[in-house]
Formats: sequence, C-alpha cells, structure tokens
Amino acid sequence: MDTKDYMESGVIEAYVLGLADAAEAAELERLRLLNPELNQAILEFEKMLEATVRAESVEPSRSVKNDIKKKLANEFKHETLPARARVIKMKTYWKNIAAAALVLFIASAVLNYYYFKKYIKADRAYSELLAETRDLQANNKIINSRLDQLQTNIQWMVNPAVQKIELPGVESKSQYSAVVFWNADSKQVYLLPNNLPPAPAGKQYQLWAMVDGKPVDAGLVENCGVLCPMKTTQQAQAFAITLEKTGGSPQPDLTQLYVLGKISS
Amino acid sequence: MADHIQKYSEEQLVDALRLHSEKAFNYLYEHYSASLYTVILNVINEPHTSADVLQDVFIKIWRQIESYDDSKGRLFTWMLRIARNSALDTLRSKNFRNNNANLELNESVYESETVQTKVEYIGLRKLVAQLKSDQRSVVEMSYFEGYTQAEIAKHLAIPEGTVKSRLRAGLLQLKQIMNQVGY
Repeated sequence: MDTKDYMESGVIEAYVLGLADAAEAAELERLRLLNPELNQAILEFEKMLEATVRAESVEPSRSVKNDIKKKLANEFKHETLPARARVIKMKTYWKNIAAAALVLFIASAVLNYYYFKKYIKADRAYSELLAETRDLQANNKIINSRLDQLQTNIQWMVNPAVQKIELPGVESKSQYSAVVFWNADSKQVYLLPNNLPPAPAGKQYQLWAMVDGKPVDAGLVENCGVLCPMKTTQQAQAFAITLEKTGGSPQPDLTQLYVLGKISS
Repeated sequence: MADHIQKYSEEQLVDALRLHSEKAFNYLYEHYSASLYTVILNVINEPHTSADVLQDVFIKIWRQIESYDDSKGRLFTWMLRIARNSALDTLRSKNFRNNNANLELNESVYESETVQTKVEYIGLRKLVAQLKSDQRSVVEMSYFEGYTQAEIAKHLAIPEGTVKSRLRAGLLQLKQIMNQVGY
C-alpha cells in the first residue's frame, strides 16, 4: 500500500477527530508503529487541531471552576510535585551515586585485603622482633653479671696478699696449665682453669693442696665463669689438678694428674 | 495566578495529574477550559447546559487520567474526545431533546443550505461552515451531531460509500482551511 496515498486519504484526520471506525483505527495504530513518517503526520495534525480550537475558543463563566473544585475537594493532594524530567534526573542521580558507591566499595574491599596481608606480615615481624629483644635483654643481663664478677675478681687478685701460683702441665700434658690465686691472709683460694681440656662425660677436675706430702681436697672445678672459688687452704706446698669421676674422690688418682705447681716461699 | 508561572509539557501535566496535584488541576483548567467549553458549545449550542457538561468533562478527565494512553495520541486530543462525547450524550438525552427545539431546526439547515444566523458559529464549527455544502453537511452531522455514516446515508438518501468519501474529502479540506488561517 502506498504510504503517501494512505496519508493523504483523510484517514489521519478522521482518526484524530474520532470519526474513524474500529477497523480503520486499528489499522492506523498498527501502521504508525512501522512508519515514523505516518506517526509524525498524526502528531502534526493533532497539534494543528489544538492550535485551531484554542484560537477559536470562548471562555466559560468564572463560576464553573469553583463548582468543579468543590466537587473534587477531597481528591487533591497538596504537595508540589516534581516534573517527570526531574524525577528521571533524580533516578539517574541516584543511579550514579549507587554506581560510585559500588566502585568505592570494591576498591575498599581490595585495599582491605591488601592491607590485611601487610598487617599479618608486620605482626609476625613484630613478634619475631620482640622475641629477639627479649633474648638480647637476657644476654645483656648475663654479660653484665659476668662483668660484675670479673670486676670483683680483678679487685681480689690485685690485693698484695694474693699469691699467684702457676700450675704447668705434667710430662705427657705439657700443653695444659692453670693458675691458682691464694690469699695468704684470708687463706681463700681461687682457680683460673684457663688451659685445661674440657672434662669428658662423667668426669670432673679436682684441685688438691699438697700439705706435708699429703694431698688435701681443695674443691671441685665447676663451670664457674672466670675465677673459680675453691676451698680455703691454711697451708700448702703445692697445688695439683687431677681428673676424677664426677663428684670427686677423697684421694687423687695420680694417673690422671694434669697440672702441678709448687708454691715458692 | 501563581499557577500560571510554571509551564507544564503534556507529559509533565499528565504525571502531575496522576499524582492528584491541585496545582496541576488549576493549570489544566486555566489552559484547557476554553477549548473544551467551545467544543461542547459547538455540539449543544446552549451555554448553561454546556457549562454543566464542562464540569462533568473536567471531573471525568481528573478521575480517568490513568486510562489516558499517550501512544494513541496527545492529551489534548484525548480530552477533546471526552468533551465531544459527553456533549453528544447530553444532546441525545431525552431531557435535552424535550427542552430544546433547536435540534430539529439544525437538521433543516443542511437541507435548505441557508446558514442559521441565530446559531453562533464559533470554534471548529466556524471553519467547518466554510466547507462546500455536501462536504459540510456530512462533517457537521458526523462530528457535531454524532450520526453514524449509515444514519447520514439514510437521512441524506445517498450511498454509504458516498458519505465516507465526502467525509474524508471534507476533513482534508478542513485541514486546508486550518493551514490557510495559519494553524
């Protein structure tokens, strides 16, 4: 069917004025969806009709408006309402906000994950650092107490009453040695076991004071730091160290004699 | 008067009416009452009854706004149709026919081809009156009298096909007149 003929047939005008029958109206409504030109022609005539009617119109009496409003009084809502354009704008506005919020949320979630991992690492490092510090502090205490002890030792050693007795190694053990410090006044004895091999398991070194040819127990050599306090000895001619079983013996095992030193008088 | 300041597009007006805005009603009345009143007057040709019909029409528009379908046409067209149909209903009601002898007189106008000077031709009817007579009678009987094409054919003693073609031709001619006047 020729669109131009159709559009010039008067069917548009009839339809707009409500003078087309049901079949004609249905056909036009169908065709207008397929044909924008037709659609536009319908709209144009409608606009023309409004302009014509409006221009040729007369006003009704003023009272009519009030009569109507009285009848519709309960049906009014009094808020001022937004125009459709504004409503659409608001929807778009909120859509944008929602989209931005979603982006921010995702970004935040990603950052959270990243920083959480970092935190775990940092926390672990911190714990390790703390442990290290504690170790260092403990070490520090040990060192300080050793220093204190050394200081005490040195002060005792420089006392003029203290005699230094060197104990060189015996024949087969000439590489070994030790030093005994004996205070002639107080009779205190300190040993410096500075050049003895470590005692094997189950054995322990023992110091002897040789008094009138007889060996007298002067104490066991413990793990004592620098200067080891030994038993007070009233008199002696020599000092010797033997390797005994752990806990010592009442008499020395002279086959296990390591070092021996005579006291010069 | 403040209600005039905001200008509604048809879309905006429909939306506001659907939300029962009083402001929208005021706007509707101020901008459309004259047009709708004139169409009613074209049909009924009596001011007092026409004012009553105008009230009914506005109430109908207000309460039936949900049924307005913008895919079928403009708001103005829809309202004009409500106005014309309400006016035709009143015209054909027994009450009106009994109280007004004008109807018979109007019909005879077309047969005698003389313009009734007592009847005021305003609005669209003023332009229709400028059509050539066989087109004019069919358009007037169809639009302002509400007769079907079959009724017109019977009344004028012409074939229905002729009624239809005269109607179509008359409407096209009417559009020409509207164009010429500058609408």
